[in-house]
Amino acid sequence: MSVAIPSSVRERVWPLLSAVFGRQTVLFLRLQMRLMTNSITILLRQSPIRPLTVFSVMAVIFIFVFLVSVEGFAFIKMQKLALTDQIVGMVLDFLFLSLGIMLVFSTALLLYASLFASPETSFLLSKPVAADKVFAYKFHGAVAFSSWAFLLLGAPVLIAYGLIGEAPWHYYILLGLFFLGFVLLPGSIGALLCLLVVNFVPRQRKTLLILGAGLFLLGLATLVYQACFIAQNESLDREASGRLLNRLGFARSVLAPSHWVSSGLRAAERNGSNDLGLSLYYLALIWSNGLLAYLATTWSASVLYRRGVNRIATGGSLRRRYGESWLDKLLAPVQVFVRPSTYLLLVKDFRTFRRDPAQWAQVVVFCGLLLLAFFNIGVFSGDSPWVYINNLSAGTVLLIGLLVAVYNGRFIFPLMSLEGRKFWILGLLPIDRAQLLWGKFAFSATMMLGFAEVLTIFSDLMLGVPWLLAIVHPLTMLVLVLGLSAMSVGLGALLADFRETNPAKIASGFGGTLNSIIGLLFLLIAFTLISGPSHAWLMLDRRDDLSWFAWSTILIAMTVGLAIGLTALILPLRLGLQSIRRREF
Amino acid sequence: MIKLDHVTKSYGPRTAVRDLSLDIGEGELFAFLGPNGAGKTTTIKMMVGLLFPTSGRVLIGGHDLRTDGERARLLLSYVPDQPFLYEKLTGREFLQFIADMYGLSSNTSRDRIEEVIDMFQLADFIDDLTERYSHGMRQRTVFASALVHQPKVLIVDEPTVGLDPRSVRILKNLLRKQADSGTTIFLSSHSLDVVEELADRIAIVDHGRLISCGSLEHLRSHAELDGSLEDVFLRLTEEAPAEVSPTRDADGKGGA
Repeated sequence: MSVAIPSSVRERVWPLLSAVFGRQTVLFLRLQMRLMTNSITILLRQSPIRPLTVFSVMAVIFIFVFLVSVEGFAFIKMQKLALTDQIVGMVLDFLFLSLGIMLVFSTALLLYASLFASPETSFLLSKPVAADKVFAYKFHGAVAFSSWAFLLLGAPVLIAYGLIGEAPWHYYILLGLFFLGFVLLPGSIGALLCLLVVNFVPRQRKTLLILGAGLFLLGLATLVYQACFIAQNESLDREASGRLLNRLGFARSVLAPSHWVSSGLRAAERNGSNDLGLSLYYLALIWSNGLLAYLATTWSASVLYRRGVNRIATGGSLRRRYGESWLDKLLAPVQVFVRPSTYLLLVKDFRTFRRDPAQWAQVVVFCGLLLLAFFNIGVFSGDSPWVYINNLSAGTVLLIGLLVAVYNGRFIFPLMSLEGRKFWILGLLPIDRAQLLWGKFAFSATMMLGFAEVLTIFSDLMLGVPWLLAIVHPLTMLVLVLGLSAMSVGLGALLADFRETNPAKIASGFGGTLNSIIGLLFLLIAFTLISGPSHAWLMLDRRDDLSWFAWSTILIAMTVGLAIGLTALILPLRLGLQSIRRREF
Repeated sequence: MIKLDHVTKSYGPRTAVRDLSLDIGEGELFAFLGPNGAGKTTTIKMMVGLLFPTSGRVLIGGHDLRTDGERARLLLSYVPDQPFLYEKLTGREFLQFIADMYGLSSNTSRDRIEEVIDMFQLADFIDDLTERYSHGMRQRTVFASALVHQPKVLIVDEPTVGLDPRSVRILKNLLRKQADSGTTIFLSSHSLDVVEELADRIAIVDHGRLISCGSLEHLRSHAELDGSLEDVFLRLTEEAPAEVSPTRDADGKGGA
């Protein structure tokens, strides 16, 4: 069944490793390897579509970030600015700081789920295994999982930096070593944070971790905005560059590990006589601190992990009272256009959604970021030329559409799968199964329509777009919301995974990935056809009295776009409905 | 072999287990009964070291689970009501992992794994990934893993749920045989017929408090009723005072 290591090698290697690292450490290493080889074997035996899709999406993201980085570094190099080295240093400092802080929170959240809310750790803790060994085993998994984004987003930037700077070969080797050393530090800090929160504030643990992540994202957005503001409004001369550097000075502190990595990599890239030594010094600094933090965290786990499991179970009342809430009343207007049975299903989904902080907290973070961007629209638009406003308004509609697509992919697509083993309850209800789909569709479309249309109209008003765009944009958004909601609900039913209980895994699985890709394609096509021609003609000449030829192209493209939107609305729901009617339970 | 010494466990303001003391000897098949929410699972979780008592001590083979947990857990095996298996391991790989976890030598583990495969009739599916197992197959594999290292104490929570009559029969024979060979069995179950047939001693708890403990005859005399275990159980739990302490919920519901 599995890709196996030859038994002769195995029998010699494992005892040797056990003698060096300890029996339990090696036991978990073997378990991880066995689980990985079995999973890869199964993946290879199944249809290649899923790994190919995942690989293609990752390749596209990697290449996109790489190309943008090449352009960026080439631009900075071409400008021959007095502060070029400092600007590049600042970019790398900021990159590592933000990725590092993201790693802190993602490791903390992942570890919370795997250490304190998983049946596997309950099983392991009832065995004669040291708590710190279980912790280390789950820590490695969490850090590996949370640092893939670091690899996907950071590696292309740093490879581009090396290529443009004509770095020597050892730069690329040191890159990997710096990466491995660096992830230990934020990973350990995140793990320690998780242990401390669970042990000392067990009742507010989830809220605290999620709020921390949300605050960080808002802080990051503010900083990015400030940097963009300076870059946008002032020519990048010595004074402006200096101001930009001062604004982000905290990321450049000699005590910041992100600065050590950035400095080490810049030294490796320079290839001067003392630079390799300097780079190795920073590498040693990163590794020694990373390992020290890891040791401190595993020691803390030996004291705090079992205590934390006990604290979580006993830290507060297990029974929390829930009942009808004023929030349910927000859905009341929907009763006008759905059947009473559909409305009941809708209320059920809404209650499930809002009682899971991991779900709604992400929506809050999304909305916070978006609102921040929208309040800044005025600052950006000012007396900007028409071309800029035209592009900005198009980009805003695309951004809102992207958020609707992400929201649907992350939260709506998994809804049918999450019915999982409870599906028989819904299956036995005296209602047409179509109502299950309509309920979820109404839930998604109602929430998203209000949110997206208000933002679209608000941004158009702030930008002062012509009346044609003020009509076309809300229409585009209507088509996008209905189409994307129908796709997520329909494909969610068609490709339901009733075995999985984690919505994040359902969303990132094969069905979820396929849904996201189709959703993004639909977004681009619908926007190009419904809004695109209006933007193109208005770009050429900002007149409201367009020629008959311009009007013809706008109307024809819009009709095709609406037809595609209608297909996106009907087809997935039909497919989903056929699948759900056939489904046995 | 198992000793609970004045154990109390509170969940925030609520007390799930109240001053519970038990002393269970080697080779004894001890049944632990109680209505839903009586504190059975909390007691078991304290006996395997997943939870710590708020006060009192739990000892397995003389080792305190709080201060000497690893040694105590070396002596025991726990089969929970919702057992865990690694979905991406085969049954044989899972058994090997458990054998390695308890430090069995490669020869011993090979022999023991074959023994339990035979004992639980796992041969037909042992080399398939466990994600394909039915409930009964999973349950049998978990039992096999629990016995692979020949524990001194076997703690079992609701073992018969979802098993067919043949599997229940195999399980009953096995539990009796294990007890006769010196393993201490701590069995928590709602299947009163199984308990009546197997148990040497029976404890009944309700609202976190021990109501009665002893042989079936002792329980009958306590209940002043000469009926089946079911009748005795219902009488004793009916009469049990649902003492509402100041720390209980406003709705008066107890439970863990």
